[in-house]
Amino acid sequence: MTPKKVQRKDKVEPRIGVYVCHCGLNIGGVVDCAQVAEFAAGLPNVVVSKDNLYTCSEPGQELIKADIKEQGLNRVVVASCTPRLHEPTFRAACQKAGLNPYLFEMANIREHCSWVHLHDKEAATAKAKDLVKMAVARSRLLAAQEPMEVPVIRRALVIGGGVAGIQAALDLADSGYQVYLVEKDPSIGGRMAQIDKTFPTMDCSICILAPKMSEAGRHPNIELITLSEIELVEGYIGNFTVTVRKKARYVTDSCTACGDCTKVCPQVAPDEFNAGLSMRRAVYMTFAQAVPSTYQIDMDLCLNKHGIVACDKCFQACQRRCIDYSQKDQRITLEVGTIIVATGVDVYDPTPLTEFGYRKFPNVITSLEFERLINAGGPSGGSLIRPSDRRIPKTVAFLQCIGSRSKRSNIYCSNICCMNTIKDALLIKEHWPETKILVFYIDIRAFGKGFEDLFQRARREGVSFIRGVPGEIIEDPESHDLTLLGENTLLSQLYRYEVDMAILSVGIEPRKDSPLIQRLLNLSCGSDGFFLEAHPKLRPVDTPTGGIFLAGCAEGPKDIKDSVTQAGAAASRANILMSQGKVTVEAITVWVDETLCQGCGMCLKVCPYSAIRQDPETQIAQVTQASCAGCGTCVAECPFSAITQRHFTDQQIYAQIEAITEEAPETKAVAFCCNWCSYAGADFAGVSRFQYPPPVRIIRTMCSGRVSTGFIEYAFRRGAAAVLVSGCHIGDCHYINANHQTEKRVKKVWKKMERLGLDPNRLQLAWISAAEGNLLARKMQEMDGIIEAVTAEEIQKTRELLVPTKKAKGKLEEEDPS
Amino acid sequence: MIKSLWEVFNKEDLLECYQCARCTGSCPAAQVMNSYGPRETLLRCLNLGQEAVVTDERIWYCTTCHVCEDRCPQEINIPELLTAIFNLAAQRGNLPEKIKFTLDLVAKTGRSLIINDKVLKDRQKLSLPPMAALNLDEIEGILKKTGLGEIIDLS
Amino acid sequence: MKYAFFLGCVIPIKYPGFEKATREIMKALGVELMDLPFSCCPAPTNLKLVHYDTWLALAARNLCLAEEAGLSILAMCNGCINTLKEANLILKTDGRRRQQVNQALEGSGHTFKGEIEVKHLLDVLYQEIGLEKIAEMVKYPLQEIRMGCHYGCHLYRPPRIMYPEDLSEAASYVPVSMDHILAILGAKPIEYSRKFLCCGSALGTNIDPQAANEITREKLQHMKKRNIEAVAVACPSCFSQFDRGQMMLERKHHDGFHLPTLYISQLLGLAFGLDQKNLGLEDHRISLGPFLEMIPDSRRQGPA
Repeated sequence: MTPKKVQRKDKVEPRIGVYVCHCGLNIGGVVDCAQVAEFAAGLPNVVVSKDNLYTCSEPGQELIKADIKEQGLNRVVVASCTPRLHEPTFRAACQKAGLNPYLFEMANIREHCSWVHLHDKEAATAKAKDLVKMAVARSRLLAAQEPMEVPVIRRALVIGGGVAGIQAALDLADSGYQVYLVEKDPSIGGRMAQIDKTFPTMDCSICILAPKMSEAGRHPNIELITLSEIELVEGYIGNFTVTVRKKARYVTDSCTACGDCTKVCPQVAPDEFNAGLSMRRAVYMTFAQAVPSTYQIDMDLCLNKHGIVACDKCFQACQRRCIDYSQKDQRITLEVGTIIVATGVDVYDPTPLTEFGYRKFPNVITSLEFERLINAGGPSGGSLIRPSDRRIPKTVAFLQCIGSRSKRSNIYCSNICCMNTIKDALLIKEHWPETKILVFYIDIRAFGKGFEDLFQRARREGVSFIRGVPGEIIEDPESHDLTLLGENTLLSQLYRYEVDMAILSVGIEPRKDSPLIQRLLNLSCGSDGFFLEAHPKLRPVDTPTGGIFLAGCAEGPKDIKDSVTQAGAAASRANILMSQGKVTVEAITVWVDETLCQGCGMCLKVCPYSAIRQDPETQIAQVTQASCAGCGTCVAECPFSAITQRHFTDQQIYAQIEAITEEAPETKAVAFCCNWCSYAGADFAGVSRFQYPPPVRIIRTMCSGRVSTGFIEYAFRRGAAAVLVSGCHIGDCHYINANHQTEKRVKKVWKKMERLGLDPNRLQLAWISAAEGNLLARKMQEMDGIIEAVTAEEIQKTRELLVPTKKAKGKLEEEDPS
Repeated sequence: MIKSLWEVFNKEDLLECYQCARCTGSCPAAQVMNSYGPRETLLRCLNLGQEAVVTDERIWYCTTCHVCEDRCPQEINIPELLTAIFNLAAQRGNLPEKIKFTLDLVAKTGRSLIINDKVLKDRQKLSLPPMAALNLDEIEGILKKTGLGEIIDLS
Repeated sequence: MKYAFFLGCVIPIKYPGFEKATREIMKALGVELMDLPFSCCPAPTNLKLVHYDTWLALAARNLCLAEEAGLSILAMCNGCINTLKEANLILKTDGRRRQQVNQALEGSGHTFKGEIEVKHLLDVLYQEIGLEKIAEMVKYPLQEIRMGCHYGCHLYRPPRIMYPEDLSEAASYVPVSMDHILAILGAKPIEYSRKFLCCGSALGTNIDPQAANEITREKLQHMKKRNIEAVAVACPSCFSQFDRGQMMLERKHHDGFHLPTLYISQLLGLAFGLDQKNLGLEDHRISLGPFLEMIPDSRRQGPA
């Protein structure tokens, strides 16, 4: 695809409008916005400079549109919140007024300024002026861009066949799209299939799930691919190529699920579906309502696992001749436009909390094991029996918050355990009204619709709620009865309760294989291990990667209702993408100036997307626009400045460095932060109101790989006291692995500084993720210390010694006054 | 001399406590004494202030077993808090008699038990080497420098 | 293998038999022990609670003596190990504290450098000497006597200070060394409820011995439920609770547990067939008679 040529606006003088937003008191309460607007008015090419209360509001946007038309503005700068929030809003406003949206720039004077320097108004105002100066400097060099249209394949992939995955698949299939539903287990159904009843309605879980499962299984638009795993995901929004490994079932499609095979199989293993409370055979069906309704062989357990048929009992027993030991795993390739991740959760294993005796004392079980015991289809036929002697317990204790809200396990609250216990307690009371039930809690969270009612019902039925989790469980060696030792905090009294059975209300946590999915799809995870949404409030089911959405517990612990809601939301988001059949790609891709390209091939070596090829004859680099993600790593790598990134040109970045270092550079540091992690982390620090010292100025690039050694050295040459280069953690780079280049380049500059006798500590490299606002705040603190310690001699020496090593492009030498 | 608990313990760590009571539920001293248990002691520090806590003799009912720290989900260093409380309490004269006695002994002899004739005889019978003579001046010098004189009479 | 031998206060003064037993078994195992003028560790159960700075400085002095001799420390008591290991770690890692302490040590000619390690007798036996070597020395295996290990608290809590190398993510650390040693000696280590409950010793020494004994009583009850025949300890204060404490409990409650308690060196000495008059077997208040009768030993000398 040939790139649209950049419209050159050199002949037309920039006419810049600057709008400094108060954002109510969020900015105005700290930064003197009027002063900043006044300062901006004095900058070259600024013809309009105003401050207002809420620039993103209707009147605010109307003001900008009016000024564009009436004042003939051809550049707009808004100094307000983070561009990650409102850049699209203002770009749309500009476009409506007839101004190309890429001629718009934002200065982040809220998350990166007013919110983090709440107590230093003077410094915040000075910093805001600098940030506006940077934005104005960049805006002068912006060029109009035309975004590219990319066709979108109108097929979707849903990873995970729990209730969220099923719902998302059904919604998309009903909308007319073809959907692949890939599930790792032999059957869809997930956790909901294991639960007995749901809260607050006390509905039978499998009864309400099974119809959905059947529908998904027979829907003409859904292809169910179970017992399969994702191996590779390539491509980009609207055009994903996914390699799936379909594991061999060793049972053909003719299987009628009659069960003759399983009766004769000699091998046994713990049944995962029944949480290990019963056994299954090597040839088995996961559960009675499984979809697809078929048996499969667990070859690791089967006696034929070494490829020789040592036992063919099941083969002989099968009347329809469905068993085929020679089946092999298959690899299939799917081409889809959107992906929904609905991989669900695992349950916390409380074995490390040795004080509760899980796995030592037979009558201490988890809430999931309880669900299986009380379920009619479970190992005890629905009887709540004690594992030690199969008696019905007379007294049962529930212990809350096991594995949640704890630095020893998972620090978050698992959302469902309080209501799950209340529901379980009511279930017990329903069948065995004489059973005494004690719930040991710290807080009861009954926040949803109908939840408080259920909580009240439980108390009315005589369930005792005691505030104070036991410190220890003791077991009587003969009877296996349990004693719970703890303190009733509301009475400030120690207790010693004798119970027959204790149920640990365990939390839920990200699946053990979620790091695999994370890497395959280039997703971010929060500090709790769940997949990170693009924005916690406004984009709760989007991921930062276009075309990939989240649904269900994969995004965070939640109940069935919220999972289903989210699934619908994710399907809707995918629908938006696929309904038009095309999507516009941001015009931040790269293009090659063929007159400057020397055919060295260094750019394609660093491209994480293999989006650059070399022409076989001329060796000139050629970019596949649709594959380019816009990280800019190739630009920083090219020794001949032959590649340019649209909207993030070298000149624009040099102009921002210049703006920072124009006044008192020895008191400042220049920071390069990547859009997806570090810049977002700085935003998060702002949202969290972590306070830190003000002397660092952040320049945003899409990827830390965009940062060339030239930028760093230029900043130092201009007298900056320190430089910070920050990006995603190694292994987590939003552009797969571009940050490896970042690391290489920083190391190169360190070596050079050491060689010249300069202090390499002035150049800092930090990997900070979007969730690590506190880390960023600490780094800013550190940078402040480094700036303080730098001497005037050091800076003078740097100006003299740190001369550019690479042959700079013509334009650079013109820009660089030193 | 420490004047405030918060000089030697980070108050922010305490604020993370959500009163789950796993500490007191595991505390051996709480089971046999009329004590507060760590949960309540912590809460009293936060809600009633350090003065109410360091002047109460019941805070000393502790076996220093550290099981509270082991079980706390917020990983609050409760023994460290209690040590700070005890140190401050000692400065205020809130100090159990038995501990004071041992302290005096250590300050004067460098050992926490008295070596009497029976001990010497028993050791001799077992052909054990005599216990080393300690450089008491050296020890006294150290005690003077660290300020133990704030608590007990070192003369 | 050579160690600076840290006697502490309770063993050399109250239970010198344990000191003798330790010296004898170490001799048999080929470990050299050097005596140095160590003072009270000082105990984590009194001085630390009263005046932290003094506690740290005196502990540092003891560590310096070992450093100056170029030897790591072997301690026989949980209290000593807790103080010395923690002080060693703090002074090695906290520069400010180290400076403070070295200032206090100025006139004494000692400077803490952080050059040695501190190990409990159990760890030297389990990690440094090893079960194989111990097994070779066993002449009179302990006849599968059902024994309950009481590790005590100060040996391993908090694990991030006492056994940082053995920590796994989010796991509760529990020690296993004594159980393994007992098994190698031919005894049968038995699990029992509240195995890691404190013996209560510090509460007794500082405030109320009767209350402390009630804590020990709970442990004895649980041990009895599992038909444990004897208790193994690695600390003289724990020993005192289980031995003298048990005697006081019998007087008060009249429910005889008859559970003899032995210090770890005594058990090794018995199994190795060492001269029993060197094992401090007279110091016991709860009779050892039935216990000793369970071990056929032709070299028995000293009181039955």
